[in-house]
Amino acid sequence: MRHGRLPLILSFLLPPLAIYGIFVLSPYLQAFQISTTDWLGYSAQADQVGLANFRTLLHDGYVWNALRNNAILLAVVPVVTIALGLFFASMLTMGGRKGRAGVTGVRGTALYRLVYFFPQVLSVVIIALLWKEIYSPTSGLLNGALRAIGLAEPPAWLGDPRFAFWCVLAVMVWSNVGFYVVLFGAAMQAIPRDIYEAVLLDGASRATMLRKITIPLLWDTIQVAWIYLAIAALDGFILVQLMTNGGPNFSSDVIGLRMYDTSFGSENKFGYASAIGVAMFFLTLSVAVLALRTARRDRIEYS
Amino acid sequence: MKRREILRRSAAAGLLATPAAGLLTGCATSGGDDKGDGGAYQGTKSEQNPLGVKEDAPLEVVIFNGGFGEEYAKAHEAMYQEKYPKAEIKHSATQEISKTLQPRFVDGSPPDVVNNSGAGQIDFNGLVSQNALADLGELLAAPSLDVPGKTVRDTLLPGTVEVGSYDGRFLVLNYTYTVYGIWHSTKLFADRGWSYAKTWDEHIALCRQIKAAGIAPWTYAGLHPRYMSWPLISTAIKLGGPSVALAIDNLEPNAWKSDAMKTAADAWHQIVKDKFILAGSPGLDHKQSQTAWCQGKAAFISCGSWLESEQKDVTPAGFNMTVAPTPSLGSGDKLPFEAIRGTAGEPFMVPAKAKNTAGGLEYFRTMLSRKGAQDFTRKVASLPVVAGATDGVELPFGLATVVKALDASGANGFNWVYNNYYRKLERNLVDAACGEFFSGRISPTEFLDQCQRGADSIAQDNSVKKYKRAA
Amino acid sequence: MSTVRAGVPADRPPRRETGVANVFSHGFLLLWAAMTILPLAWMLLSSLKSNGEIIADPWGLPEALRFDNWARAWTTAHIGRFFLNSLVVVAGSLSLTMLLGATAAYVFARYEFRGRQVVYYLFVGGMMFPVFLALVPLFFVVRSVGLLGTWPGLILVYTAYSLPFTVFFLTAFFRTLPTSVAEAAMIDGCGHFRLFFRVMLPMARPGLISVGIFNFLSHWNQFLLPQVLIPGDGPNRMLAQGLSSLAVSQGYAGDYAQLFAGLTIAVLPVLVVYVAFQRQIQAGLTAGQLK
Repeated sequence: MRHGRLPLILSFLLPPLAIYGIFVLSPYLQAFQISTTDWLGYSAQADQVGLANFRTLLHDGYVWNALRNNAILLAVVPVVTIALGLFFASMLTMGGRKGRAGVTGVRGTALYRLVYFFPQVLSVVIIALLWKEIYSPTSGLLNGALRAIGLAEPPAWLGDPRFAFWCVLAVMVWSNVGFYVVLFGAAMQAIPRDIYEAVLLDGASRATMLRKITIPLLWDTIQVAWIYLAIAALDGFILVQLMTNGGPNFSSDVIGLRMYDTSFGSENKFGYASAIGVAMFFLTLSVAVLALRTARRDRIEYS
Repeated sequence: MKRREILRRSAAAGLLATPAAGLLTGCATSGGDDKGDGGAYQGTKSEQNPLGVKEDAPLEVVIFNGGFGEEYAKAHEAMYQEKYPKAEIKHSATQEISKTLQPRFVDGSPPDVVNNSGAGQIDFNGLVSQNALADLGELLAAPSLDVPGKTVRDTLLPGTVEVGSYDGRFLVLNYTYTVYGIWHSTKLFADRGWSYAKTWDEHIALCRQIKAAGIAPWTYAGLHPRYMSWPLISTAIKLGGPSVALAIDNLEPNAWKSDAMKTAADAWHQIVKDKFILAGSPGLDHKQSQTAWCQGKAAFISCGSWLESEQKDVTPAGFNMTVAPTPSLGSGDKLPFEAIRGTAGEPFMVPAKAKNTAGGLEYFRTMLSRKGAQDFTRKVASLPVVAGATDGVELPFGLATVVKALDASGANGFNWVYNNYYRKLERNLVDAACGEFFSGRISPTEFLDQCQRGADSIAQDNSVKKYKRAA
Repeated sequence: MSTVRAGVPADRPPRRETGVANVFSHGFLLLWAAMTILPLAWMLLSSLKSNGEIIADPWGLPEALRFDNWARAWTTAHIGRFFLNSLVVVAGSLSLTMLLGATAAYVFARYEFRGRQVVYYLFVGGMMFPVFLALVPLFFVVRSVGLLGTWPGLILVYTAYSLPFTVFFLTAFFRTLPTSVAEAAMIDGCGHFRLFFRVMLPMARPGLISVGIFNFLSHWNQFLLPQVLIPGDGPNRMLAQGLSSLAVSQGYAGDYAQLFAGLTIAVLPVLVVYVAFQRQIQAGLTAGQLK
């Protein structure tokens, strides 16, 4: 049945490819080209500067500072989010396994899942604006609570370089955990009950069960989660820009904001900003390739 | 089918765009036409029309919608319209000037008048170094619209042309005259029997007294801590004279570490050390800190003379805010206590590639007319840079103190412009250093070191055009 | 969908867990639930307070319910209009993404042709690109096509940028579908196009739903792209732009209540839809991930 094969391939493939080529590939190619110029963005004049932007980049302390924060995000956000996700998901799935209390456990589970998932349906802009107000030192929810329990001088949170970055990181975790609770929960329910029951009869504790049974069986899902969260951690731009704008004293800066600030913010060095973007591109690419390769190898091992 | 039409349209566009993109010829940097159509609309110059406005040419005005709002601009546009009834005026207002207009500058189709102000303003250094701004010299030479026998230049307050000039070309019209000082509530001080201190030692003593009364002596915009650099640098200039500012503006080596700056930083460190600052201030933005101040949680705040207008909605009745100069460090001060920082602010510009540059200049002439200026004062309670703009206008309390402070300061008034030359230096680098300093995390020496490092990084950056001023 | 509500066998073996651990773990569950709900409840509450009340006591209750805050956000900040704008654009971009994503993925998954791997990786590689590397050139591309500041322009760009993930995801999904059904259909004389629309597409429903929800959320949350492609202060902006300019103007005007009201107006409909369809949404999002 060869008839209709070619028309289908062409008509199915060409429109998406055209859109992708025009709106994704061509801008990126141009961005690579801009990264080798000193274009300032308010006129058409620009000179070729070769790799000078990239050399500047290597010695730019602000860029390295931002990269360090991205590295922390990359290391912390996936671990904490996945750990919390696994913890809550196992609580909720096994909540129904507690003897006579099982019925209430199940009802609670549905409600918990409903609530935990809330942040997932809110836009990042809303999350950022809301949390910025929550962290506000005088009129914020958090310090209101701290003062109520007797803390006379609660921290200034986003105004304090010791806390600002971690406050943003916490919001990142907060907004993601719910999704992974639901994701892991669904994966756990796909695990046959008898496995758990057999282990329970052997007298294993819940922690052992999580470590020995649940996590290995969920490994595939966890890895997918890892990749998504890693890519999210490399971005973080909207949260940081709206909550702290990188401050105080650049303590919560991230590479995305550096690029934005260099082009649309305090400076208009589009050439240099594009160079930062190109560096970011290779960074994201290597993280993703690394993650995908590990994932593929492991999938073979487990399937 | 709509979807199909979109597809067809984009497919057609793809045929045009893809080869170009592939060859990297259709790219952003080479696509524009450098000649542009700046000043495409030209009329005949005459005595009535010294700038050569084409009477039916449309005029596009973009206003920064900040503390002053946009109503005052609509009034100016109406005055322009009255003179040129055939001109179609397009008005828009935004809080994000850069985001809104940057693409249009690149595109070569900018509006005719831009009020380039606010946190999202476009960096002037870049605009100037790329010749993106029209020379306003012609405007200065033109006769004033309603002051007979005077040119526009004659009607401007001193300093206006200097602040807006880059390498001797007048490119930016700063429309308001802004005074930077320390603010307090006359009512609060009268109720408590306090009076504003003229020397630093008295200021510290007063702060102690205020703190003992259960009020924080100071607050500041912790998220924009550069507001505190203003009184600190002012203190240094009053001690060491205007050359302190000159060195900073000209990026001279170790300008930030001059003796005057060191003494000033040491002095200001006192209010940090003695915890004279409202708790939580480092986490407040400008609006929140000003509001806390209006509520009487703090006694002093550093701000420019837009404060009264900006706080209009939350200022309690009878609050009566007053501006005052920074206290003198001692008898060795080169400038008297009354000396205060005053400068033209609120920048307006006509892009070089605007279609109706003549109309843009004429619009400025309208703003700078006595009628336009008085209307502005009435609407937003601020001083325009036009002499006599306050004549016959009843001033609100705060603005009246601003006028008084300016009079008292007279020829001793001072200013600095490094923030105009190198936006990033004040907005990012000095800002960050102030944040560290006023939250007590670094010492005065470290503070000045950090500022100096910032200035050095600008001085060494070849991609930033440098400016020098003589005095 | 059924997995989420999977029943629990009645004859469970007795637990060895102590009551203390139970209280402890339930405490954590409750704590997290509170941490999720409190910010939203606080937002709702603050949207009904006066500015003075908000500043004075963050935990205080309003003296009177000030719905005029909402009215202000609705009329002066036009949050309602921006909401509808976003809805229309996302409806368009989502349909287009799903159509083009599914067709492309189907070809990649089910047809062999020269250069398939290269084209596939070129396509999927787009997932790795940081979007704003492309922002400035993208502006010019959209402008040269004559779609700057228009919804069709935004729809096409949303689509273009979600195709990589959609194709990646759906290709994997189509590969998991059994080939036997397709072969049987072919033998029955079903054409290539018919096979796709009548057989394969319905079979891929779970995958389509989950990637659809994913794309919906990401399109709905877009902030950077509309910022650049719908420049200015026009009435055709997206919700995120409207909210962020509301926040910026709050910085100048100090109207916290209006900001909270705007946020609440933006959040409520989404939350209502979510609560109504929560099982479908959760199951849809997770079912696809587990493949």
